[in-house]
Amino acid sequence: MKGIQLDKLKNEGPETLSLKERRQFLKFGLVVTGVFLGGSIFSLTSAQAQGAYRGGKVVPPAGQFPYKPHYTMVIRQGQCIDCELCMEACVRTNSVPAYGYRTTILERRIPNAEGEQERAFMPILCNQCNQPSCVRVCPTGATYKDATTGIVLMSPKKCIGCKTCMAACPYNQRYYKEEDRAIDKCNFCFDTKLKESGGKTTACSAACPAGVRIFGDLTDPETEAYKLIHTRGNVFWVLKPESGTLPNIFYMDATDA
Amino acid sequence: MNFYTNTDTSTLPPMNQILIFVGLTLICVIGLAFGLHTMLVGHHHTLGTTREVPWGLLITPYVFFACLSTGLCMISSLGQIFGLDTFKPLVTRTVFLSLIAMAAGLLCIALEIETPWRVGYYALFSPQPFSNIWWKATIYSLFTVFTICNFLLLMIRREKFARVFGFIAFAVVIIGNLNMNSDMELLGSRGFWSEGYMPLYFLSLSALTGCAAILLFNWIGSIFHKQSLRSQDEKALLATGRLFFVLLLGISYFTIVKIMGGFVPKFTNNPEAMALLVQGDFAKNFWIGEVGLAVLLPLALISLTKGKNVIVLALAGISCLIGAYVLFYDLVIVGQLVPHFQDYNVVDLPQYYSYSPSLHEIMISVGVTFFFLAAFIFGEMLFKKIYIHDQYNI
Repeated sequence: MKGIQLDKLKNEGPETLSLKERRQFLKFGLVVTGVFLGGSIFSLTSAQAQGAYRGGKVVPPAGQFPYKPHYTMVIRQGQCIDCELCMEACVRTNSVPAYGYRTTILERRIPNAEGEQERAFMPILCNQCNQPSCVRVCPTGATYKDATTGIVLMSPKKCIGCKTCMAACPYNQRYYKEEDRAIDKCNFCFDTKLKESGGKTTACSAACPAGVRIFGDLTDPETEAYKLIHTRGNVFWVLKPESGTLPNIFYMDATDA
Repeated sequence: MNFYTNTDTSTLPPMNQILIFVGLTLICVIGLAFGLHTMLVGHHHTLGTTREVPWGLLITPYVFFACLSTGLCMISSLGQIFGLDTFKPLVTRTVFLSLIAMAAGLLCIALEIETPWRVGYYALFSPQPFSNIWWKATIYSLFTVFTICNFLLLMIRREKFARVFGFIAFAVVIIGNLNMNSDMELLGSRGFWSEGYMPLYFLSLSALTGCAAILLFNWIGSIFHKQSLRSQDEKALLATGRLFFVLLLGISYFTIVKIMGGFVPKFTNNPEAMALLVQGDFAKNFWIGEVGLAVLLPLALISLTKGKNVIVLALAGISCLIGAYVLFYDLVIVGQLVPHFQDYNVVDLPQYYSYSPSLHEIMISVGVTFFFLAAFIFGEMLFKKIYIHDQYNI
């Protein structure tokens, strides 16, 4: 059977359309538009619009931190010698299995002005972001920001293992822990060393012989981390600021301190 | 309507139809057994996913079937909701296909996640409304319920009520489809999904795969029943073929945008991933699957026959569906292969992460696909009379 031969039909013009047909056409258009717009609203708009990168304000001004205590870590990158004692302490303290890690050290070759390459070691761990993409994507609230300290925590019993948080983390700081049947990550030793030390230190920070990992409280001017960050002239940076996650791990060269 | 009246042996499907169904079901069961094994021993031991590439092949059938279901719902709505007479003969079969496609998608994602038994409870009692994943799971579950209601009402010939559920399902699934982009967009610093055209791309792809599936499965239906297509069905399929052709032209535009992004970095948010897709290890997938099978071959087949041959339209449909499957695979995987710290001069960091699907992933995907096919044949055996009923009552 032949289909409609549109090219052979005579143009009847819009004036021949009945009122009913016009209404039907308008209704169709309105429905399609309405559904598309409605869908856009329900899709929670784009992730970029939800991003936390606000004109380069990586660190909030002193006195305006949203948590108290607001835990942070300053990493004096230039002092790291890659002894990995921090990693060992983390594994021991937090029962990290051999196939995963909560913190690691990356080796970098950074080109300098003379065209040579400088060797540097960059410890990385969960950045305990102020705007964590992992928390936003979790469908069951299994990963969340602790309301008091701002530490990004896990509630393993709620984790469905969709691994969206792993995909969303710009720092690759999450892994699936089979023993818990849930995602595991650095939590600043929230339930282990931090608790034992009365909120003063973490396992990796305590184990570091070179004073690389300085754990502290951004709301407490007496902590070393606070002093380092708020000392005029000190240059520090965060990893992947373009992700808009507002990290709480700050990097600086040892020579600045 | 009483469903238990016609139970005499004369209404039973022929033995060869039953054998086809049993064969498909058997392959489905074997595939799903791999899924069960994975669930028991843990994904770490059976899947090819890693810390760096946490989403693997199993996301592909999920996205594919969810989009296919969306497309099928869109096309069924043309006849059922918007009252276009030409498409009315397709409505009931399309609604059923939409339902089983979504069921296949949900089955796949249930096998993909590590602890699916926690989903129901915590999605309900610990919901996270800022999570697109939560929205999508909720929306697709609701869609399944509404589509079941729609189909049941069509079965008992309550077309007006069915239309209401059909409309709700249509609205809901479009919302779910628009969510698809937003949750993928959050792959960290991996901008592969955050291209501005993605929401429209997903909708167009959904409609495209919907048309392709209608062309293919209505033709298979006629072969299965050893009956030639009725004139109304053929007319509806030719109309679907024309819509399919227009959508192919639309997808061609997006494909050209991808090609431009692959060769000229300024046209894309993630030049590394696009280069990998268009010129790198995924180039075969892209040029053969996404360009050849998904777009060019169907366009050529339809153009050569001027869209008037139902068999050729069905062949164009299967080509497009295979190409679309490859497309969704690329969409899921390629963006994840760009290393997290690629700009940090890290020693021993590969230019791209690697990922290969494991046997378990392949078999689970096969199982889910055959679940869809077995369910389709099941529908053909059980609902043939209801499909024919379409043209008279809607």
